[in-house]
Amino acid sequence: MNPNENRLHALDAVRGFALLLGVAFHAALSFMPGWPPGIWAMVDNSPSQFLSDAGFVAHVFRMSLFFFIAGFFGRMMFHKLGAAGFWANRARRIAVPLVIGWAVLFPLIMWVWSMGLNKVFNGQVPPMPEFPKTPGAFPLTHLWFLYELLILYAGVLVLRALVARIDRAHQLRQLVDSMVEASLRMRIAVFTLGIPLAGALMTLPMWFYWQGIPTPDMSLIPTLPATTGFGTAFIFGWLVNRASTTALPAITRGWFGHLVLGMVATGWLLHTLHATPMAQPGLTNTLFALVFGVAVWGWVLGLTGAALRFLSNYSAARRYLADASYWIYLMHLPVVAAFQVWVGHWPLHWSVKYPFILVASFAVLFLSYHLLVRPTFIGQLLNGRKHPLRKPKPLPAAAQAAAPTVVDARAPVAELRAITKKFGTTTALAGVDIDLKPGELLALLGPNGAGKTTAISLWLGLTEPDSGQVTLLGGSPLDVQQRRGLGVMMQEVEMYKELKVRELIALSSSYYRDPMPLEETLRRAGIAALADKPYGKLSGGQKRQAQFAVAICGRPRVLFLDEPTVGLDVQAREVLWLNVRILLAEGCSIVLTTHYLEEAEALASRVAVLAKGRIIASGSVDEMRALVARRQISCETLLQVEVVKQWPGVIDAQRKGSRLNLVATDAEAVVRRLLAEDPGLRRLEVREAGLNEAFNELTREAA
Amino acid sequence: MNALALKNIVEQDLLPPRRAVGAYLTEIRFELTRILRNPALAIPMMLVPVGLYLLLAVVVFGEAAAKDPSVGVFFFVGFAVLGVTMPGLFAISASLAMEREMGLMKLKRAQPAPAGSWLVAKIVSGALFSTLAYLPMLVAALFIGKLPLSGMQIATMSATLLVGTIPFCALGLMVGALVKGSAAPGYANLIYLPGCYLSGLFFPLPQSMHWQTSLWPQFHVSQLAMHAAGISKFQFMPATMSAATLLGFTVLFSAIAIWRLARKG
Repeated sequence: MNPNENRLHALDAVRGFALLLGVAFHAALSFMPGWPPGIWAMVDNSPSQFLSDAGFVAHVFRMSLFFFIAGFFGRMMFHKLGAAGFWANRARRIAVPLVIGWAVLFPLIMWVWSMGLNKVFNGQVPPMPEFPKTPGAFPLTHLWFLYELLILYAGVLVLRALVARIDRAHQLRQLVDSMVEASLRMRIAVFTLGIPLAGALMTLPMWFYWQGIPTPDMSLIPTLPATTGFGTAFIFGWLVNRASTTALPAITRGWFGHLVLGMVATGWLLHTLHATPMAQPGLTNTLFALVFGVAVWGWVLGLTGAALRFLSNYSAARRYLADASYWIYLMHLPVVAAFQVWVGHWPLHWSVKYPFILVASFAVLFLSYHLLVRPTFIGQLLNGRKHPLRKPKPLPAAAQAAAPTVVDARAPVAELRAITKKFGTTTALAGVDIDLKPGELLALLGPNGAGKTTAISLWLGLTEPDSGQVTLLGGSPLDVQQRRGLGVMMQEVEMYKELKVRELIALSSSYYRDPMPLEETLRRAGIAALADKPYGKLSGGQKRQAQFAVAICGRPRVLFLDEPTVGLDVQAREVLWLNVRILLAEGCSIVLTTHYLEEAEALASRVAVLAKGRIIASGSVDEMRALVARRQISCETLLQVEVVKQWPGVIDAQRKGSRLNLVATDAEAVVRRLLAEDPGLRRLEVREAGLNEAFNELTREAA
Repeated sequence: MNALALKNIVEQDLLPPRRAVGAYLTEIRFELTRILRNPALAIPMMLVPVGLYLLLAVVVFGEAAAKDPSVGVFFFVGFAVLGVTMPGLFAISASLAMEREMGLMKLKRAQPAPAGSWLVAKIVSGALFSTLAYLPMLVAALFIGKLPLSGMQIATMSATLLVGTIPFCALGLMVGALVKGSAAPGYANLIYLPGCYLSGLFFPLPQSMHWQTSLWPQFHVSQLAMHAAGISKFQFMPATMSAATLLGFTVLFSAIAIWRLARKG
């Protein structure tokens, strides 16, 4: 599965959200307090300051968010289809809807507007200000965004051709990529990306704060603030796609900070807006424009990051909404305005009427999408494919291929792919790949600080990697549902000392769907006798046993045991080993870290050795044993080191004082020859080189 | 591909609603059990406010209250604020700080506990202990007749006071998220005690000190209680202003706590 696939689901969701938010925004415009009649189709008799504020907040970022995502997908499509394919596609999906949509919608909108104004002015509609007769003037209506999009595509492709000509060695582009990533990571982007827009806004002779970026819906000639603001968003989206392997993780990690910045900045804007709704030249104007830029980008980056963080999985419902959003946004304006006109004079509070308009409009729009668009050529045109009405819900291509087959017994249940993780300047993991297959016990060995606990933390969703992908049971471990299949025993964890063992297990069991009966958990962990003892009164070994019980109580499919037998006596260790074997036999997959090599030898089906954040050896226990089937021979002899070193079967020879120390693969033959060649040989010792020495050696080699 | 198929199996693994509710209730039950088994924490929280109230408001300053009934309400509100806000702040900050030091927060984040169940458990048990601390005071005050208010006023005032514990739960979260282990109650006191005096909870402050009272959440809770009880003599700030400030405090404290917990665990 392409790791990028998931991220695209999230970005599709964000684009859909921006569009649907637009519908909610326009639905609020008849409730604006203090708007003179004639600006909008209807003036409702129950104005709402709340909707005015909420509308301002949504309007700060919704179109910038849309153009940011459009830039991201624009570059992706350009590289997938090539220049000709790209323009053909954009013509079908942007230009045709713009032209046909305008032809259909403009008369409808005018009709609803005239009805509304008639109602507002009680049939005495005053003459409306004449449409300006400047060159290029044209009532684009809310479809201006398609026009703007076409202009931005053209502009960016020209820019791109220029850059490609100048920057033949790709140095400039690599520099830009790393700047994009660094600016996101160091939270510079959120403060700087809005500066061009702020500059453009300050030049406006009349700037109503509330409207944010003035909507360029009156002219075919691009306006400075809109082109600057939306162009920045579009180009940055394009650049983020260039650097997506590093930039998307940076956006994901920064979601919360960005969102908070966006909210704080917007809060200040609202506060200022309440004091002066109209830009005064001078300091407030400048400050408002600058903070506006921060608000825009805080929301854009924060919402995108949050979606990447929480909505990266495929969801049929979100997919449907994202597909429907384009049609809905294109068509919504006359529908929403018609409902606004209809309810405008009802003697009801806005808190009743506004939700009614929303629900009714969405009902009409979704129904029209489902019946008229999704299964027809319109759906084909807008979203690139038709969905027959009566068929099972479509799955993405990858899932369709997998659905009919039985789950492959060898598909890994937990994976780390090309993981890099740094803590400050120390690198805990550097490009690590590990996978855990069903029913196997993988022993992770390595000295302290090798990265074992970091690897486990990634699988548990406690930390996120700087780059690379973590998979648990086929999904992200950040997802609670995914974690419902795991059990864990951590290092250096103390549980509530006031609670009894029985209560601790009951608490953990409540998190799982189908936990073991309490008594069985107690029996399995060998602590039935301790059930009613408070945890605080247990010995060190008994505490580890209780933690083991907590780890297995949910019948986990994947079990993570981080140094489980530290501090256990021999008997307790045997019980734990026995249980690990039973769990394996039941099909549970286990990751075990340990310092006790005999533990790995006793239990592991596979061993991976970590040192300094890298895997330096991995294989079956037998392979590891072969790797380390070496013995150490030590004796007092007169034989020369250089001579012995040449003997077959000798790997290493060193002299330490009067003693000769050898490392040999075929110890028997070497000993025989030693005794034959030096009858005066004394104090012969032969020792098995355990895994320990082998790993020390491997670690040294790696260092 | 197969990973996806496997994922589909996992998705059917949603907790059924009854079990999800059960998980929240279990968490709450054991949170309460823990506090109850920790008498060093539970007893002072529940008995100190009512004891102080009876000693100071009734025995020492009883005469002042007898002259002006609103002074009696003033004392009652002061000690009630003390009683309801302490459990939220101290129980939550102490237990969260301890859990973080023990590594238990890490284990909880790794386990598939329903979202925020530990948080819900802490807030609910904080609120429950606040009620346990408040009820004896209310009974005592009614019994000795120091609360000359209507039933409706008493009910709204009590509800206001109990809702007023929420900012202190948030403050407890913040302290627990910033400080580790046994230092938490110390830091909590450092923030809490000056506020009790400087907000004029127990005795009226001189005019020169009024500017700083709105810095303390205690002040706003007591203001809301005064509004609910209809004692205009001790209303210094509009109720909406106090409510908004408390909301602001809650958001601020929670944001800092969430930010810190997401970063450090």
